[in-house]
Amino acid sequence: MISHPVPAAATYVLVWAALIGLLLVTLGSAYVPLGWLNSAINLAIAVLKALLVAFFFMHLRSAHYMLRIAAAAGFFWLAILIGLSLTDFMVRY
Amino acid sequence: MSVIVARQFDDAEQQRNASDLGMWVFLATEILFFGGLFAAYVATRLHDPQAFAMASRLTNITLGSINTGVLLTSSLTMALAVRATKLGSRRAATAFLSTTAVLGVAFLAIKFTEYALDYRGHLVPVLDFAHSGPHAGGIENFFYLYFLMTGLHSLHMIIGIVVVAVLVGMNRRGDFMPEYFTPVELGGLYWHLVDIVWIFLYPLLYLVSRA
Repeated sequence: MISHPVPAAATYVLVWAALIGLLLVTLGSAYVPLGWLNSAINLAIAVLKALLVAFFFMHLRSAHYMLRIAAAAGFFWLAILIGLSLTDFMVRY
Repeated sequence: MSVIVARQFDDAEQQRNASDLGMWVFLATEILFFGGLFAAYVATRLHDPQAFAMASRLTNITLGSINTGVLLTSSLTMALAVRATKLGSRRAATAFLSTTAVLGVAFLAIKFTEYALDYRGHLVPVLDFAHSGPHAGGIENFFYLYFLMTGLHSLHMIIGIVVVAVLVGMNRRGDFMPEYFTPVELGGLYWHLVDIVWIFLYPLLYLVSRA
C-alpha cells in the first residue's frame, strides 16, 4: 500500500478564499486610474492565482520534481513563443 | 481488491507517476495550443492599445466576473472530489464531482447568455458587427480574439463536463479506491488547467481599461 499526502479540506477552502479575494482585488483595482500599473497589477494577480491553483489544487506543491519540470516546460515554451514574437512587434510600432 | 499494475511498471506508484507525467505533458501542449491565441492577443493589442481599451469596456464585466467566481469555485469542488476519492469516501466524491459538473454547466449558461447580449450589442464580427470611428478595425480585432479565445475555452469546458460526468459514473460503479484514483486525479488536472486559462482571459478581455 502506498501513502499519498492528503491535504486537509480546510487548506483547499483557504486557497479558494484567497482566489476569490484576489478576484475582488483585481476587479476593484481595475476601476482605480493607475495608468499602465492597472495592467501590471491585473497580470501579477492572474499569475498569483494560477500559481495557487497549480501548487495546491494541482498538487505541484508535493509533486515529484519531474512533474514540476513538465509543468514549468509548458509555460517556458509559452514565454519563448510570446517573448520572441515581441522582439519583432515591440520594434515595429 | 487491489490495483492492477501493467507489466511495464515495477509497482503501482511508478504506474501512477507515469500517468501524471503523461497528463502534464499533454497539459503543456494545451498551454501552447491556447498560447498561439495569447501571442496573437499581445501582438494585436500592441498594434492598437487604444482600441483594446475601448473594446474591453464593451464586454460584460458583471457576467464575466460572476463567471470567474463560478469557475474558481468549481476548481475547489474538483479538488475536494479528488481528495474524497483518495480518502475512499465514495459518496462525498460523487457529491463533489456532480457539483463541479453543475458549476461547469452554470459557467457555460452564463457565457452563452453573454454571447447573446454581445450579439444584441452588435459586437460579433462576421455576423453582426457595427462600429465606426478611427479604432473600429482594432475593436473588431479585439472581438475576433474575444470569441476565438472564450470559444476555445468553452469547448474545453464542454469536454471537461463530459469527463467529470464519466467520472461520476465510474465512481458510482466503485472503480476508485484509496490505492487507485488516477482517472479522477487526471480529470482534475484538466479541469484546473482550463480554470487557469480563464484566470488569464478574465483580466485580458474584461479589465483592460475600466478606470
